[in-house]
Amino acid sequence: MSIILSVLIFFPLVGVLLILIAGRKEGRDEAIKWIALGTSVITLLISVAVLIGFRNGFPGLQMVDRFDWIPFLNIQYFVGVDGISILMILLTAFISMIAILASWTAIDHQIKTYYILMLLLEIGMMGVFLAQDLFLFYIFWEFTLIPMYFLIGMWGGQERVYASIKFFLYTMAGSLLMLLAILYMGITNNSFSVPDLIAGRDAFASAQYVLFIGFAIAFAIKVPIFPFHSWLPDAHTQAPTAGSIVLAGVLLKMGTYGFIRFNLPLFPEASFDYAPAIAVLAIIGIIYGALVSFPQKDVKKLVAYSSISHLGFVMLGIFSLNAAGIEGGILQGVNHGLSTGALFFLVGVIYEQRHTREMSEFGGLWKVVPVFTALSLVVVLSSMGLPGLNGFVGEFSILLGSMGAYSLGGHPWIYTAFATTGVILAAVYLLWMFQNVFMGALKNPKNEKLRDVNKRELVIFIAFLIFIVWIGVQPSPYFNLMDSTVSTLVNDISATVLVGQ
Amino acid sequence: MSEVTIEWYIALSVVLFTIGSLGVLLRRNAIIIFMSVEMMLNSANLAFVSFARYLGNLDGQVLVFFVITVAAAEVAVGLALIVAIFRTKKSISIDDLNLLKG
Amino acid sequence: MTAYGLAPLLLIFPAIGFFFNALFGRRFVEADSKIGERWSGWIATLAALSAFGVALALFATLQANHFEAMVVPVADWIVIPAADFAVAWAMRVDTLSVTMMLVVTGVGSLIHIYAMGYMHGDKDFSRFFAYFNMFIFFMLILVSGSNYLVLFVGWEGVGLCSFLLISYWFTVEKDGKMVNADAGRKAFIVNRVGDFGMVLAIILIFWTFGSLGFERVFESAIEMTVHQETVHFGFFSAPIGAVITAIVALFLLGATGKSAQIPLYVWLPDAMAGPTPVSALIHAATMVTSGIYLLVRSNVLVELARVSFVEQGIGIFGVISAPDLIALVGASTALLAGLIAFTQFDIKKVLAYSTVSQLGFMIAAVGMGAYVAAMFHLITHAFFKALLFLGSGSVIHGMEHGHHHIHHAHSDDHPSDAEEFHDQEPDHFDPQDMRTMGGLRHKMKWTFWTYLIGALALAGIFPFAGFWSKDELLAHANVNHSNVFSAVYWMLTIAAFCTAFYMGRQLMMVFFGKPRHGAAEHAHESPRLMTVPLVILAVLTIIGGSMNLPNISFGGGAAADSHAVVEEGHGEEMVASSKGLTLALEHWLEESLLIFELSEEGGELAAYENYEYPHTPTTLVWVVAIISTLLALSGLLLAMFVVYRKRPLSATDPDPLQKLKPLWWFRILPLETLYMKTVVPAFKWLSDWLAFTVDWNFWHDFVHNNIIRDMFVSFSTFLADVFDKYGVDGTVNGIGSVTKGLAGVLRKTQTGYTRSYALGIFLGAVLLLAYFLWFAF
Repeated sequence: MSIILSVLIFFPLVGVLLILIAGRKEGRDEAIKWIALGTSVITLLISVAVLIGFRNGFPGLQMVDRFDWIPFLNIQYFVGVDGISILMILLTAFISMIAILASWTAIDHQIKTYYILMLLLEIGMMGVFLAQDLFLFYIFWEFTLIPMYFLIGMWGGQERVYASIKFFLYTMAGSLLMLLAILYMGITNNSFSVPDLIAGRDAFASAQYVLFIGFAIAFAIKVPIFPFHSWLPDAHTQAPTAGSIVLAGVLLKMGTYGFIRFNLPLFPEASFDYAPAIAVLAIIGIIYGALVSFPQKDVKKLVAYSSISHLGFVMLGIFSLNAAGIEGGILQGVNHGLSTGALFFLVGVIYEQRHTREMSEFGGLWKVVPVFTALSLVVVLSSMGLPGLNGFVGEFSILLGSMGAYSLGGHPWIYTAFATTGVILAAVYLLWMFQNVFMGALKNPKNEKLRDVNKRELVIFIAFLIFIVWIGVQPSPYFNLMDSTVSTLVNDISATVLVGQ
Repeated sequence: MSEVTIEWYIALSVVLFTIGSLGVLLRRNAIIIFMSVEMMLNSANLAFVSFARYLGNLDGQVLVFFVITVAAAEVAVGLALIVAIFRTKKSISIDDLNLLKG
Repeated sequence: MTAYGLAPLLLIFPAIGFFFNALFGRRFVEADSKIGERWSGWIATLAALSAFGVALALFATLQANHFEAMVVPVADWIVIPAADFAVAWAMRVDTLSVTMMLVVTGVGSLIHIYAMGYMHGDKDFSRFFAYFNMFIFFMLILVSGSNYLVLFVGWEGVGLCSFLLISYWFTVEKDGKMVNADAGRKAFIVNRVGDFGMVLAIILIFWTFGSLGFERVFESAIEMTVHQETVHFGFFSAPIGAVITAIVALFLLGATGKSAQIPLYVWLPDAMAGPTPVSALIHAATMVTSGIYLLVRSNVLVELARVSFVEQGIGIFGVISAPDLIALVGASTALLAGLIAFTQFDIKKVLAYSTVSQLGFMIAAVGMGAYVAAMFHLITHAFFKALLFLGSGSVIHGMEHGHHHIHHAHSDDHPSDAEEFHDQEPDHFDPQDMRTMGGLRHKMKWTFWTYLIGALALAGIFPFAGFWSKDELLAHANVNHSNVFSAVYWMLTIAAFCTAFYMGRQLMMVFFGKPRHGAAEHAHESPRLMTVPLVILAVLTIIGGSMNLPNISFGGGAAADSHAVVEEGHGEEMVASSKGLTLALEHWLEESLLIFELSEEGGELAAYENYEYPHTPTTLVWVVAIISTLLALSGLLLAMFVVYRKRPLSATDPDPLQKLKPLWWFRILPLETLYMKTVVPAFKWLSDWLAFTVDWNFWHDFVHNNIIRDMFVSFSTFLADVFDKYGVDGTVNGIGSVTKGLAGVLRKTQTGYTRSYALGIFLGAVLLLAYFLWFAF
């Protein structure tokens, strides 16, 4: 028993209280920002403490905090961390901090509410990644919707109301089937705790194909897997910069995380049998997302669609159902959080000054803002999967996994080959974007007065770049974190599935 | 002189209760009604004490203490209400207080 | 002396140079133009020179240690224990990689020095040198990586540098198009098409051989081929020969991208948009040869693919073996590019197509198993093509100065910068157009003589380096007998003739005759910083051939020709005695080329019945040498003294070749046009259609807004207006009116008098009591 995870989840509440106290008088906006930032930094430090206490070779849950919550339904408060979630909580803490820092000057009204919602969102996301009781998970899962809904709806762009409602309804609708599935499993097994359910999965084995779909739809919408992606361009383009960063950085990962945490171990046979179908959707997503990104005129929308492509890779990796694929998938989730988060941030930096994101409004920015351009170039290259930067490590592991996948039948190389075209297409749309924004002659006089990065922005960029390069050059520590958990999971699946084959 | 048996006490209690309830039903002055309520409470107290003695245990007496306490609180609240009503209505006749009329 | 451990320094020096220029360079250049610029350039050059020093040390180490290859581990990279996947950052020091290192850093350093002169005065001087050092860094990673994945890091890294350097003058716009940026992007994307093959090949290698390290891969490839094993991973299974063939074919795709072969050569001519030193370093001497390096490095796999075809008939679609395909791709590229070069007017475009063509020679050599010849040609080509590009840069530099001289504009400024040029000149004078040149041999003496040496070497004139390397290659094609080899031989021979012809044409148009433009008249020699590297490269071009001189026997060409293969074994012994004099490169490289060991007597591959390793003759094949020399001479002479003797006297006269219509068709650039008319519009149309019609109008708007939302809305409207009003409302209203009526009755009981409520309470209490008394007791 250890309460550190509970502290990690609920620590932002302290910040919320402090903001409420500080915010009783007008004109304390600066104090509120610093409180929010301080809270997120401490949360990050707590998550680092969790990392330090994390034992690498141990596959199961660690630092468990568990007690009965609603005893007559056998619902527990049960949190724990393992190799699958450790990177996710670090990512969450990191991205939350960055998001708060990124909103510093971009948010200029209702500051108190904004930062409270940000901190609440962090609580929800942490809870999602740490909850080991399905009911608790579901509550955190739905809880994240509310702050995000308001973040988009109150501080978003022109069509924020449409976008926020669409986001809310889409995700909500998907989750309902998951709730049914959760209730069914909880009632058949008389427990909602995930390890218990995995141990007792035979009890609902006959229904697993249906249950799988119940979970899969909720997660597929969140990821989003083609064709459930329609909410994404709206939400991403309309959300404030920090909202997009969190959305891309963490919220989408909740979907992929859900697949690994629940679908694979709870329904191994169904996962195996559905794998080719999901892999096909993932590959369609990779290609479709990349193709659709290319002609976008709004830079932010381009980045939004590129997420569909990147997340396609993650899904392909997960449904390779082998260690390389799943570990690559998890790492690529982190990579996408970093590089797409950074891309949204760089769009935000320009937007803050020019109040437009139309690509045609820009061009030739390199001459005006050279440092910003150089930093953006690294981010773009990372997103493109240039070897030596983080994106490549993830994509390569995923492609590696997909080629050796048992789950993809006798010719897995067909999947790999199609997925690899994404590597070409990524270069097409990202370089197009880079060229149109930064290269060429400076034609629009409005761009002449753009300022180069200030200190705060530089700090954010450098924070991103450190991880972009670190994961690119030395990914082993990251793989080590998840290795034993993933290898146990993979062995479990193959032991269950391949025995009959 | 015959023994004062339990019946006497009960009878007195009944009489007091009846007087109290008739007072509540018939009088219009809020303070009078209030006093009548007190009387009803005390009739109950009398019954409690009598039975306690009759049965030889202390349960009834304990309850009486509760009732007294509650009555004291009630008096405080009730009088405050009456004063407040008087301030707004300039009257303590309960017939003037018919806001609940359907 | 073992200095293998020095290898990481090779990367550290350019990295330092890069960081210095990237972080501080701009300040230097801005603060004080003269001093800052020099600092920036010299530090970069010093970084390259230091790397050259390290490469020399490694060279000496190899010599001292019997050419023993060594893997120098630097750090772990991707390690996934659960997947048994482990790739390290490790450098391989062997004769092949050191050869490449020497070429890259040696030629690289010279070009750095040259660039200091050429780029003088450029506003982004330090950015240029930052890129240059970054390029050296990645190129060295490419050639020194000890496994395929590290090689791929360098492979992509140089692609990135190429993109950045091609679009170095990214502000230039012509007709509203960012020509330079477009060219850079095109290079990157076309290269990525090749990378598609690389990634797949690398993954396939891992699953087949369980490793990516060169040594492990080659050992298990031989092992598995000898035992004709079946490859299993996942539910996939295939014979080893098929997998190796696939790997080689995918590598070929990668090589066609990076080394600009059919069908992906289209980026290289556009890449000439970059500054000329870039064209010399990246797009002639080093980066574009990495495809050849890759295939030479994978010589075992290439030969095993040949073995599988010969022994088991496993080839590409069962028709052709992978190496034969490589050879044909190379040869046809050599020929096609040679023909296109005829029709170019841009001095650099001619050289660009010539590079494509020469790379074709090398690729063809690899496909024919002539790995040493390929490397030999790679090295000599690096010398003379760098020389030619730098020479052309010097010419362009001179022309620009001449042009500025006429216009008396910015007489103290030295714009090597095409960007400024376009900003100022509305009359579209193109300093690279050969039609505006002429007579430069008098104006630019150093440039002319060095250029002439380079051109003669490229044309394959005895005794320059190009003659020896090209001849070795042609001899190899000639003495090994198969249909493919003969076809390749003739294609390459014709390509060699073309080479001589277009070089003659270029020499004539640029240096001879009379100046055809004021700029050419006022052109003057470039500064020392630029001419010194030219001279050094010219010297290398003259003596480069001595690296791998064949044995020259005067016994008669025919005998050598027909018996070369048979004599091979003896030749080897004979040569061994005279080691150091002839075939030095071959002896040096064969330490790294596992294939020599395998195909010799007692080697695993020698045991096959049908397969025979296509050996390169060790003696000069007279027939080949004479034919190619004659063709080269006739090509040069034909161009210089027949076709262009009555050369156009003004810049507007048509080229005499234009009368040869079929030849002139190549000017429309066959593949380029094909792509621009099919692939590019198709891609744009598809992505537009998907993005706006399918995703937005259909999926986002129509399905979500019109179908889902509107159906929801109309359904709920139906519920509200119809169902609710008459159905639900009817019921509810009914209940309502009943309640209302009841309430009308019941409200009478609500008198508002406290006592009536109290009465109610009392009555209720009484009733309850009565109930309890009645029923409970």
